[in-house]
Amino acid sequence: MKPMQLSRRLLLAAGGAALSFPALSWAQAGGAKKLVLVVLRGGLDGLAALAPIGDPDYTRVRGRLAQADALALNGMFALHPRLPKFNALYQAGELLPVHACATPYRERSHFDAQNVLESGAAQPFGRDSGWLNAALGTLSTSAGRERGLALSAQAPLVLRGPNAVATWSPSALPAPASDTIARVMDLYERSDPALATALHGAIAANSLVDGADGAGARGPRAVSALARVAATFLRQTDGPTAAVVEMSGWDTHANQGLEQGPLARNLGALDDGLDTLKTELGPAWRDTLVVIITEFGRTAAPNGAGGTDHGTAAAAFLAGGVVAGGRVLSDWPGLSAGALLERRDLRPTTDLRAVLKGALADHLRVSSAALGRDVFPDSAALAPIQGLLRA
Amino acid sequence: MTDMRTAAIAANRFGFGARPGDLRAIAGDPRGWIKAQFAPQASMPAPIAALPPGEDDLLAFGRWIAARRLRRGNAEGIERQAERQGVSDEELRMLSTEEDFIATFRSRAVTAIGARIEAAITSSAPARERAVHFWSNHFTVSAAKPAAIALPPSFEREAIRPHVAGNFTDMLAASTQHPGMLIYLDNWLSVGPNSVAVQRRARRAHGQGQLTGINENLAREILELHTLGVGGGYGQADVQSLAAILTGWTYDRPRLIDYVREARGERSGASLFEFDAPAHEPGAHMLLGRVYLEGGVAQGERALADLAQHPSTARFIATKLTRHYIADDPPPTAVARVAAAYARSDGDLRATMDAVVDCDEAWADPFAKFKRPEEYAISALRAANIQTLPVGAGAAAIGAMGQRVYAAPGPDGWSDRAESWLSADLVYKRIEFAQTYGERTARADIDARQIGEDALGPLFSADTRQAVQRAESPAQALTLLFASPEFQRR
Repeated sequence: MKPMQLSRRLLLAAGGAALSFPALSWAQAGGAKKLVLVVLRGGLDGLAALAPIGDPDYTRVRGRLAQADALALNGMFALHPRLPKFNALYQAGELLPVHACATPYRERSHFDAQNVLESGAAQPFGRDSGWLNAALGTLSTSAGRERGLALSAQAPLVLRGPNAVATWSPSALPAPASDTIARVMDLYERSDPALATALHGAIAANSLVDGADGAGARGPRAVSALARVAATFLRQTDGPTAAVVEMSGWDTHANQGLEQGPLARNLGALDDGLDTLKTELGPAWRDTLVVIITEFGRTAAPNGAGGTDHGTAAAAFLAGGVVAGGRVLSDWPGLSAGALLERRDLRPTTDLRAVLKGALADHLRVSSAALGRDVFPDSAALAPIQGLLRA
Repeated sequence: MTDMRTAAIAANRFGFGARPGDLRAIAGDPRGWIKAQFAPQASMPAPIAALPPGEDDLLAFGRWIAARRLRRGNAEGIERQAERQGVSDEELRMLSTEEDFIATFRSRAVTAIGARIEAAITSSAPARERAVHFWSNHFTVSAAKPAAIALPPSFEREAIRPHVAGNFTDMLAASTQHPGMLIYLDNWLSVGPNSVAVQRRARRAHGQGQLTGINENLAREILELHTLGVGGGYGQADVQSLAAILTGWTYDRPRLIDYVREARGERSGASLFEFDAPAHEPGAHMLLGRVYLEGGVAQGERALADLAQHPSTARFIATKLTRHYIADDPPPTAVARVAAAYARSDGDLRATMDAVVDCDEAWADPFAKFKRPEEYAISALRAANIQTLPVGAGAAAIGAMGQRVYAAPGPDGWSDRAESWLSADLVYKRIEFAQTYGERTARADIDARQIGEDALGPLFSADTRQAVQRAESPAQALTLLFASPEFQRR
């Protein structure tokens, strides 16, 4: 019954045109490939999440933030001790960490950097729509079907654009009584189709996630709740293709800690969130790609307050049943004084857009022409990285 | 009856919704009621007048940043500054330990948002308040950018509010010279590569990390978002020229000693706009086919004045105004009429607004526009004649419905199209708001039928009247009224 409600919701959300569309076609529409994009806002410390323990300068440069108990992946890289589930995925060949990657943005404003990260343009405010919306727009699609889902009240920039997307977010306010909703719906159906469509969508979404415990959880723990909701949507046979989950709190300027502290807590929550997603997706995990990205990395060396300041290159993670993992993708630039960018930041050696282009090409079959023009504007010269996913 | 219908359109579409009794007062002359609010002299609403000036916001923000930097690793620079400016170690320590800077700063932001909402819900000139919101959104300065976080309220008060019934040329100049805009769109970081300042620095050995180039951000947005609009007939060369012309347009940045003087109770040395002549790119520049000879700050003032009078600007402003007041896709006849009024009056916003009011299209479909969350909440508060709000309540409710007051996501401001606000989740959150607000407002002496009648007059539909009538409780009756289609549209 519940899947039927979702189809109705997706059908209705498309507006009038979709209403006459034969419902039969939903079962045939689209492939089963799923994409979950996790945006870490604030600037993840990549050298903490994925420590280059084999770099001869690592211990010296990181000083009090050098890891002693990290989970070694190979002789060079080790995951933060609070990422055991990441480690298990890596060992199973389902996690592909990428290190020393960055968008083309080379300054250090969160505001501008997140704009570049999400728009896909080469400079801040290059356009007012996002790369994921553009990528979803290239998929052959049944009329009006919403391919994207934002786990937020409004779609974040990466999902904004000409293609309609669904939204859901936990609320701080008490839910209206069902009797009240029925009466409001009656008013909308009498005179306001746009409001009726939106409310139908909300009711269907809420009926799906009713059982999601702690959907309104705040702080780092919210990511597991959102992951559960995302999985609930994605595993429907006619559910969205892509979902975006945002997580903030990565701007660790002071006392970020090692095994304990705010960064460790956040990483632990992210670890749980990824594990929740895998569990809740069930068999759909096999066809799922999870992409975890952040707007920039942080300074290589700790600052005087036991934290790190805004930097440049960071780590990103690809996970999921489709990933050709169990290896680290990195053209490692080194941490010596001369190797660092402006003698302070990890130097970017991989353009994050090349990673994303490779992932979108292999996973969603987005054409290279579209990737170089519509998805990441003016990036035709930047080749997608091949072989990120299992053939 | 006709007059009450027109009055209801006037109150909802041009104002912020009717309070009890408003419709009867407006019905005599709905168009005149709007136009009279754009008289040149108008007093500042009391909640706005009580806010601190932009100078104070700049100081508070700068002091907060200085205190943060002192607690972090990179304090050496600030210690050197202190020594140069004659700030003692003890005073510096005071600065670094005074945690209440942050509390003060946060609370002033909450106060400023509360003042904006309170001004709108109590105003007897709501059409003028709506115009303030419109222009403040046209010239967006957003707290979403951390460096500008303190400034949207004073920007709105100092650069926008004085000019909503004045001339667009003056508003454009005031906007472009306000620290809020200069910081939000990075012009304070822009220096001419051939300027005296850069030449001087180049001769010094330790010029590393200093500003050496032009930042085009403000110039581009002036052309794209403030004046000509996309497709208005400018190119990249014009962006570069305007950026060069605007180099040196900055603000008087508070120094460490200013924070300490403020803490000592002495008057600070901060001021707002400053033309930094040494940072200005020398020479003549060609903008939109016209040559602007070197003339310091006057060069930029002349360029802005010409941009304000450009035919593309007239069309762009007319399109945005009619989109706001008439329909998401405004009728071309209305756009042409308003653009002509703008051009004829050389950008007089009172005459331009009169032209909007005189468009018959503005009075045809009473529900053509879907209210944005902020105006929706304000109209609900006005309908129940609420005069004051608990601290932070309005901002929280409006934020939950998707619109963080003074924090639009980008320099193009909040969307004025329904589809941006009709997402399933946002519509549901409006119903949650309607229920929460309905429950808080419901009292024995409040009758939802009367509130609907007072707020909507003949626009109060038979369906909604019946739903309100049949509600199981006074709270549900109010919820249904506030969630009804006619209350969510204007």
